[in-house]
Amino acid sequence: MSLYNFKKIAVVPTAKDFIDIILSKTQRKTPTVVHKHYKITRIRTFYMRKVKFSQQSFHDRLTQILTEFPKLDDVHPFYADLMNVLYDKDHYKLALGQLNTARHLIDNVARDYVRLMKYGDSLYRCKQLKRAALGRMATIMKRQGANLTYLEQVRQHLARLPSIDPYTRTIIICGFPNVGKSSFINKITRADVEVQPYAFTTKSLYVGHTDYKYLRWQVIDTPGILDHSLEERNVIEMQAVTALAHLRACVLYIMDLSEQCGHTLDEQVKLFESIKPLFANKPLIIVANKTDIVKLDELDGERRAALKEIEEDSETPLLEMSTVTDMGVMEVKTMACEKLLSYRVDQKMRTKKVDGVLNRLHVAVPKPRDTKERPPCIPESVLLKKQQAGEKRKRKLERDIELEEGDDYILNLKKHYVDIPEEERYDIIPEIWEGHNIADYIDPEIFDKLEELEKDEEIREETGMYVVPKIELDETMLEIKRLALQIRNKKAIMRDESRVNKQNKKPTMPRTTTAKVRERSVTKLRSQMENLGVDMSGTENAHFTKTRSRSRSLGPPVKRMRMDTSEGASQSRNRSVSRTPRNEQGVKDVAMRNKLSRIAHKAISNKVRKYGLKGEADRFIGTKKPKHLFSGKRGVGKTDRR
Amino acid sequence: MALRVQFENNNEIGVFAKLTNAYCLVSIGGSENFYSTFEGELSETIPVVHTSLAGCRIIGRLCVGNKNGLILPNSTTDNELQHLRNALPEKIKIQRVEERLSALGNVIACNDYVALIHPDLDRETEEIITDVLQVEAFRQTIASNVLVGSYCVLNNQGGLVHPNTSIVDQEELSSLLQVPLVAGTINRGSDVVSAGMVVNDWSAFCGMDTTSTELTVIESVFRLNESVPSSIATNMRASLIESMS
Repeated sequence: MSLYNFKKIAVVPTAKDFIDIILSKTQRKTPTVVHKHYKITRIRTFYMRKVKFSQQSFHDRLTQILTEFPKLDDVHPFYADLMNVLYDKDHYKLALGQLNTARHLIDNVARDYVRLMKYGDSLYRCKQLKRAALGRMATIMKRQGANLTYLEQVRQHLARLPSIDPYTRTIIICGFPNVGKSSFINKITRADVEVQPYAFTTKSLYVGHTDYKYLRWQVIDTPGILDHSLEERNVIEMQAVTALAHLRACVLYIMDLSEQCGHTLDEQVKLFESIKPLFANKPLIIVANKTDIVKLDELDGERRAALKEIEEDSETPLLEMSTVTDMGVMEVKTMACEKLLSYRVDQKMRTKKVDGVLNRLHVAVPKPRDTKERPPCIPESVLLKKQQAGEKRKRKLERDIELEEGDDYILNLKKHYVDIPEEERYDIIPEIWEGHNIADYIDPEIFDKLEELEKDEEIREETGMYVVPKIELDETMLEIKRLALQIRNKKAIMRDESRVNKQNKKPTMPRTTTAKVRERSVTKLRSQMENLGVDMSGTENAHFTKTRSRSRSLGPPVKRMRMDTSEGASQSRNRSVSRTPRNEQGVKDVAMRNKLSRIAHKAISNKVRKYGLKGEADRFIGTKKPKHLFSGKRGVGKTDRR
Repeated sequence: MALRVQFENNNEIGVFAKLTNAYCLVSIGGSENFYSTFEGELSETIPVVHTSLAGCRIIGRLCVGNKNGLILPNSTTDNELQHLRNALPEKIKIQRVEERLSALGNVIACNDYVALIHPDLDRETEEIITDVLQVEAFRQTIASNVLVGSYCVLNNQGGLVHPNTSIVDQEELSSLLQVPLVAGTINRGSDVVSAGMVVNDWSAFCGMDTTSTELTVIESVFRLNESVPSSIATNMRASLIESMS
């Protein structure tokens, strides 16, 4: 898990591509058809939209670049310095700054031309203004060509940087070129850094990871450093210096005792002294490599004297190692990890962070509260197995059986009932329901009874009880039957035909509202009141509406209770009995009335469905004279319906 | 020795298995991978039994047991009870209890001698626990959580409790349980320790996500290898501080 992800930066296109992308995007995403006879405001907005859209696209793309590239002031100083070394801080900042300016310029151009567009009085002029605006934007971008290519290169390089976490446990390997730094990292990690017998094989930082004490350790291989002043160092060396300066890590300074690297021991000690300030406040180990050629004790007096000062320093241990024979490699790793671990723990103990986890470093040991013995319960066989851990016999597992049998495998739960004898093991477990054994309620003789019944039935069948007696028909009856069949067939055909013909093939419009349901009715009221215990007898003719207002001075009530009248008297007071309602005129009897009302209902509902009406009374006609059909360039009244 | 296992891509293996010194219950899954891990490790010494409880696979959370007995929730069906009775040795008592808190594994943590129980558990249930499991029962909370069964794992030699348990609480619990205790996590920082692992006196099974530091803490506190619990505070101290802060 790294802190920064430089791999996610989007590709920076070249200036030409950049312009092409934006212009084609404008063409694709804005309307393309305009005519000179359009209203001038419409033409203006058409072109304004194009200008604004391309400005916005330029703006967004540039903003994306500006935000995605890391700000040197925000990232960890190690990365800031590394980027300074690799890409030159000034150049980087300048490139981003110029892109920012370009963004402002494009915004200004768009604003100016949108303003000018307001005075465009024809399609031609508006179009020329748009062309000019887009052209100026493109020119501004074209000038950023160099910056864009530079940023693309930076992006590609950044994406290939090793993901170094500057805060985690880190071991840095440094020293002269060709002393065996990369061989060491290859020995303790799986980094697989290239190793060659010439100087400066490693030209950049490499990261590997190793495990020690249940923790993950980051190991950084640096390019070799030569002994000269900081100003003379080249980019390759400066990467190593940056890592040494900013990462709080354990430093391994590797020396070559055999001097095969081309630098004498004296020079190596001198380099160590000159870069010593970089090791301040860090755990440091000096490693004498290539002991397969020359051991420390075998050195001659002069060389030994050069090392003397380092050897005497009690702070920095001097270890021997040979990456060829693997001698001492693990000791160096262990020592480095131990030193760094204790250093980091020491620092953490000073902060408040550790207080939160102190309870997890504590082992609560019980105080005995009684004399009861509570021994662990480990079976003998386990202890025995532990002793003879070497000889393992493979037993057949359930998984093996499953793999063997494939799809036929069925999990057998009863196989393991070892206490039950083999023949009883697979007995069915009785099914108990609410305390009753279900088996008790099953008739054991049910199959016998069924068999008996079936036998009876067989006998009946044999004696011909179910045989239908043959009926003899004479000539006329046969003729009638034949005709009847013909008629029936014809009828069925006609029924089907008429059904097909009648079928409504037109789409129907569903009703959006449901029919209104009557909420209140006299019967409902009556039943409710009766449920509540009110005596409703004698109210057959009651009206149940409020008949009188609160004030008595208004006179007699408007409605009066209906009185019982003798049979045959008029039921209605409003209209003469002689006049039948229209829906009953010409209707013979009740059966006919019902039929008519059914037909009417069907006809109405058909119409309602077809036109999406609200009901029978819905005769709504929307707009009598729709404007779009009556206005335009055609002459008055020539073609009012298009 | 502690093993890392997964139940159908799920790391909460304490939910799907129950491990004691006398038997091991494993839920019925889609394949036998999970079961066979337990089978290969244990079946020479103790029965490893497939089962469901109330038709569910979450048997580790529903039941509680030790080498003396097994307590099942009320929702266990008769068939499952009969199956367990047939599959487990005669000397292990099996008892079904009427208890409102039916996820017994979440409310009871026990080894072969002592048990921690939820403060709201019925008195009758407590009696059944002491009789069937032959343990002393204590009503306790762990890091002010009432679900003691979820936040505590025990065997006869040690225990792992919720990572937020204070030192004072640890000392008190340790004296009650008479085993050394450590506060820790499982499955890369999960604090429901009991859902992430099962343990008995000689073996442990953890979720696949468990880190090596967590695994080492577990092996030392439950005494599954040669190291002793006190090594957590001495040998492992530096790595623990590094990995936790």
